Amino acid sequence: MSAVVDHHDAHDDHHGPVIPYAEQLKFNRLGIWLFCISEIFLFAALLVARFVLWQENGEIIRPELSQEVGLITTSVLLVSSYFVNRGETAIGVDDRKTFLNSYLIAAVLGMIFFIGVVVFEWNIFGLEATIGGIEVFGHLKPTDGVIAGIFFAMTGMHTIHVLSGIIFLFIIWNNGRKGHFNSEEHWGVEASAIYWHYVDVVWVFFYPALYLVGSVYHG
Amino acid sequence: MMLAIVRFARSRAAHAIVSGIVGATIGGIFAWILRTVLLTEGMINAVKFLSGFALIPGEAIDTFHPILVNVLAAVIFAVHVMVGAGSGMGLFQDSRMGRFMYYAGASTYAWGLVGQVIFWLEGALLVNLFRVWSGEPFDLMAESALVLGAFFSVVGFLIVGGVMTDWFLWIGGHETPLHHGAPEGMPEWFRYFSVDVNHKVIGIQYGFTSLFVLLVGGIFAILFRLELSAPGLQFLEADQYNTLFSAHGIVMIVSILLGVGAMVNYLAPVMIGAADMAFPRLNAFSYWVGFPSFLLILAGMAVGGWDTGWVGYSPLALRTAVGVQLFMLGFYMSGFSSIASAINTIVTTAYMRAKGMSLFRMPIFVWAALATSLIQFTATQTVGVALTMTIAERALDLTFFNPENGGNPVLYQHIFWFYSHPAVYVFILPGLGIISELLPVFTRKPLFGYRWIALSSLGIALVGFLVWAHHMFTSGMADTLRVPFMITTMLVAVPTGVKFFSWIATLWEGKMTFETPMLFTLGAISVFLIGGISGPILGTIPTDLHLHDSYWVVGHFHATMFGGFIFPFCAAMYYWYPKITGHMYKESLGKLHFWLMVPGFWVMSFGQMSVGVIGMRRRISDYDPALGIQGTHVLITIAALVIGWSILIMIYNFAVSARTEPVAGRNPWGSRSPEWQAPSPLPEFNFDVPFEVVGDPYDYGLEDAIYTQAAPAPSGD
Amino acid sequence: MRKANHFINVGLIIVVSTFILRLVFGWMFQLPYGPGAEADLDTLPERLSVFMGFVRPLPASAESVAIDVMFNWHFWMIAFLFALIMGLMLYSVFAFRRKEGDDTDAPHIHGNTALEIAWTVIPIIVVLGFGGYGWVELNRLITPKPDEMTIQVTAFQWGWSFNYPEEVDAGPSPVRGPVMMLAVDQPVLLEMNATDVLHAFWVPEFRVKQDLVPGRTTYLRFTPTDVGDYVLRCAEICGSGHANMLASVRVVSQAEFDEWVIATATTEPYSTMTAEARGERIYREGFGATGAPSCAGCHSVDGSVINGPTWLGIYEKTGTLDDGSTYIADDEYIRNSILNPNDQIVEGFNANVMYQTYAEAIPAFEAEIEGLEGDFDFDVIADLIAFMQTLEATE
Ligand code: HEA
Ligand code: HEA
Ligand code: CUA
Ligand SMILES: [Cu+2]
Repeated sequence: MSAVVDHHDAHDDHHGPVIPYAEQLKFNRLGIWLFCISEIFLFAALLVARFVLWQENGEIIRPELSQEVGLITTSVLLVSSYFVNRGETAIGVDDRKTFLNSYLIAAVLGMIFFIGVVVFEWNIFGLEATIGGIEVFGHLKPTDGVIAGIFFAMTGMHTIHVLSGIIFLFIIWNNGRKGHFNSEEHWGVEASAIYWHYVDVVWVFFYPALYLVGSVYHG
Repeated sequence: MMLAIVRFARSRAAHAIVSGIVGATIGGIFAWILRTVLLTEGMINAVKFLSGFALIPGEAIDTFHPILVNVLAAVIFAVHVMVGAGSGMGLFQDSRMGRFMYYAGASTYAWGLVGQVIFWLEGALLVNLFRVWSGEPFDLMAESALVLGAFFSVVGFLIVGGVMTDWFLWIGGHETPLHHGAPEGMPEWFRYFSVDVNHKVIGIQYGFTSLFVLLVGGIFAILFRLELSAPGLQFLEADQYNTLFSAHGIVMIVSILLGVGAMVNYLAPVMIGAADMAFPRLNAFSYWVGFPSFLLILAGMAVGGWDTGWVGYSPLALRTAVGVQLFMLGFYMSGFSSIASAINTIVTTAYMRAKGMSLFRMPIFVWAALATSLIQFTATQTVGVALTMTIAERALDLTFFNPENGGNPVLYQHIFWFYSHPAVYVFILPGLGIISELLPVFTRKPLFGYRWIALSSLGIALVGFLVWAHHMFTSGMADTLRVPFMITTMLVAVPTGVKFFSWIATLWEGKMTFETPMLFTLGAISVFLIGGISGPILGTIPTDLHLHDSYWVVGHFHATMFGGFIFPFCAAMYYWYPKITGHMYKESLGKLHFWLMVPGFWVMSFGQMSVGVIGMRRRISDYDPALGIQGTHVLITIAALVIGWSILIMIYNFAVSARTEPVAGRNPWGSRSPEWQAPSPLPEFNFDVPFEVVGDPYDYGLEDAIYTQAAPAPSGD
Repeated sequence: MRKANHFINVGLIIVVSTFILRLVFGWMFQLPYGPGAEADLDTLPERLSVFMGFVRPLPASAESVAIDVMFNWHFWMIAFLFALIMGLMLYSVFAFRRKEGDDTDAPHIHGNTALEIAWTVIPIIVVLGFGGYGWVELNRLITPKPDEMTIQVTAFQWGWSFNYPEEVDAGPSPVRGPVMMLAVDQPVLLEMNATDVLHAFWVPEFRVKQDLVPGRTTYLRFTPTDVGDYVLRCAEICGSGHANMLASVRVVSQAEFDEWVIATATTEPYSTMTAEARGERIYREGFGATGAPSCAGCHSVDGSVINGPTWLGIYEKTGTLDDGSTYIADDEYIRNSILNPNDQIVEGFNANVMYQTYAEAIPAFEAEIEGLEGDFDFDVIADLIAFMQTLEATE
């Protein structure tokens, strides 16, 4: 690891030492991975709270949620990760068109997930409908004790991340559209992809914790 | 669009607006003082009496005096607004007030505050939109309005203050080269009042803010200490007392975090030979997010305060006044600062070390910074969870901790302490690093057992993660949990002991001199020892059952925090003062500071422990005279005042010495550390000639030992 | 040779100052003892040996014996470690300081593996020893003892109430009250609940402490061994009344305790008392098992101001509210002030000071007494008003 500082114009106070792109990329990668590790503690604390609070007589419980909606939103999110990956690979070979399309698709899928959680699971508009005997809108209210508390906390914290991820994808898409990024230099794309995958992986842990583990609690 | 906004923000007009607001604030304060003074009854009577000589009837005074005063106040206010606005446009530059308003109106602090206020209103209005829509009355002080307003306000500070401008420009797809040096058209010193990316500038900003916050917290302490100097309620009400000690606790902790930021930011990059941190903009963000968060905590005191202490236990936190919301939000937002700067530090030390500087050849302080960062970037997230859950439970009617709705109050304590215990090691590790760094210089001996000291920092950090529940021995958790936590708690003493023994071994046969930094280093060892050895007695459950929530604990943690942070921080400030300013401080005043603060502190800390053992509970505004502890309480209060004075002496010393004292030269202490081989003050990018490491850092007493030397010119890899 | 001298000097200093420090600590950190201990602290030699921890005064609880032994070991360790580190540090400072005219560096000593291992391993052994010791003692503290008496403790903002078990029941009224009565040498198990926020049970002389957590029951065991009056102090911040959340604890002889039980259990039932007497009793004793605080905590009957307005001459009194309007303290006003305290705040007083849920506590209390005493139509507020009517101002 030689010193990274390039000192050729260090005497002029207004132009700092230039850090080569490759070097900066190394910093950035470590930085974002550290950020991901940091966030593990956030989500882990929520998971711990979930297993502590969602208990009835020592038995793990979970709320009554629509399995169908959960499955659909989860699949949508997983598929979106595939598109992000495709986009990142594409920009690596300067295939701008595929990159832009994939990112747009991923962002739209992210939006669908977001709507699935906010409109359907949270049911913020208070709708009611059944399709083929399945209730598609959730019925938990914030005041429904710890069941609702943890549910909204976990989905809420995750959704904030999804929302910021969507915005991130859009920004990258927009800048990509303007001609930024190429196969050599596309840290922005890589960062957004890592972030998006990360948010996805978090859901891979949250989904079973919310929808699958424990026996259904009928409040 | 982004560019247009930025261009506007940098325009004369915008400057005039903000300077005008600064003027309005100053004028407002003057006008308010004028009205409060001149409209009191006594003052009116005095005026009547005097005007009697001029044969003016009293009734005329009754009618005209208030009018006159109000007109005068209005004029003062208006003049200040105009001077402010004018100075923002470049006028009045030869008046002191004009220059002040000119620079204040350009400073990030003023811009940020304006943004904070505007965004607060926005958030509060947004909530009220919903309130009115759902049929509730319009109320800007409603709890949900306060919370969203407060949250927005921090964002507002950052956006309007210009902290995130580069990021927005990047989002818009613009080039964002790093800007070094003072903002265009501003003098060099103005960098300290604006968003600057240089790690040394940010370090100084952290340092100043830390001292300022320390003074605020100290004033709170002095206030409630005066209250405690006698049993019964003197001049505070119970709720005011509770708010004061709660705010004292959290404000002091913010001060420590800022001080840690100061030391790590200023020192770590220089010591490893880097030109700056790995992410300079993020570094600036870390500093600037802390400032509005601190203001939120103060705002929390203004909107009714809170009762819970700095730990914010539920269910009390769910029932106390709304101040708790702003306290928790402020605490939470300052966590972003910790996380971001910790990540920055780790990346910097991982990748930016000078050639040849292997891990075990780093100055020992860098190890401490690294260990601290490891704690900060992980554990901080969990306290964020505990705090946001409480905020949500109050503001959104969710349930987590309220047993009435099935919540679990003990869960809060677990999540909270999972951060807050490791956090106490965040407070001390850099300080202990400073001690290890300074001892070899002043004893002219190598640091004894360098490797083991370095690893013990990591040891403290790691074991520190496994002991959190020792704060909860009486909380009612299962005994199957109590015992393991007792064992792990006892084990943290071991790596800390390693440091003590190594320091002593370093001192042994050292040829010591006793300049102020060395005095503070020795003081730190003695005080931290008191704090440390009062820990295991809390760690064994049977004794903790007596001592928990008594003043013994208060004595314990003041000793650890003073010994682990305040004393080393003072040592560091004296030691690096010549490097930072290029001038020596006044040795006589430094010694006076030391000889006031050490005895003051010993009295305070032993006094607190003493009253604690006999039965003085924590967090009480009034104590039982039957305990017979009033004398000790008076001593503690006097000691607190002495400590306060001594800190003021230090600040005075630093304020004047840079102007009056002789130039210090490159290396007044004869240190081997790289930063002392460079000129004082350090150049913008630290080392004009990069160095490489060819030896061990602390080879004092070894003939011809070399640590760093100029690196051969880069040959293109 | 000089080197060895240094070690001998510093060794002596450490040993001597360990003892001195232990003595100083004994004087600085005095554990509280019950009234019985006074006799043990009479003469100077007695005091010294108590300070050194060689002899302990009479304990106030059986638990405090073992805990104090542990404190003693801790204080010896603190004294030793303080003497060790400070002794070595100060000795180095005075013995090795730079001599006039010497500007060479000190010897180049990098470290010493054996020493470093020693000062890692020895502390590990010591702290694990203390950990194990703590474990053993903790087990002793939590093991149930035979013939424990169970007392239910309820804490609320800001007071305590104590309910004694059915077995000690000896009459028509339940045995309970705001004062904790304990029989000397009778082991007790406290079953503790809080109604609102966290509180903590702490009688310093008994050494043990336990939080009370709303929504769950926590337990604490101890055996008082020294007759006398003690103060129970709430040790967990619980709001503005935390500092004054105290209760008396009286440790009495078994005979006296039994007498008290009988006296309490056979107090006249509410149903046979006059309305005024009932009112006065509620004013003083509070609201039974609901744990709602008694009126006497905040309202005086002698004209002084505690937390709320005095009750002296309160009935049909007129005055100003904090919004400037006037009031007459008639039945309706009083009833509403009890049930909805924040509706009307008398000028000079603050909202939220009064206990906010009498509206729930009072019906519960009425139901409780009606359940206990059979056919009886209990109206708490009417009785309180009847009591107020007796409190005529003398002028
Ligand atoms: C800088 C901060 C700091 C530091 C470093 C420490 C260090 C330690 N603390 Fe402290 N502590 C606090 C800050 C700190 N603490 C605060 C703020 C609180 C209160 C929070 C609140 O409630 O508000 C608290 C409370 C607290 C409690 C809870 C008390 C209660 O509320 O009931 C406990 C219990 O175990 C404890 C234990 C310890 C231990 C064992 C150490 C150890 O790390 C100490 C180790 C050091 C030594 C032991 C001395 C040197 C060692 C040797 C010379 C080697 C030989 C030693 C032996 C053989 C023993 N601390
Ligand atoms: C770094 C941390 C830190 C520091 C430095 C201090 C410093 C001091 N603390 Fe603090 N304290 C805490 C952290 C700290 N404290 C915490 C975490 C708590 C727990 C809170 C809780 O229970 O939740 C606490 C609680 C606490 C209590 C217990 C309160 C209670 O339980 O009721 C007491 C009581 O004596 C106390 C006293 C003091 C005193 C006298 C000082 C003194 O050293 C202060 C010295 C004074 C100054 C440093 C200021 C100097 C300035 C001036 C004199 C004025 C100058 C004015 C201008 C320039 C305008 N503190
Ligand atoms: Cu109850 Cu403090
Ligand atoms: Cu701790």
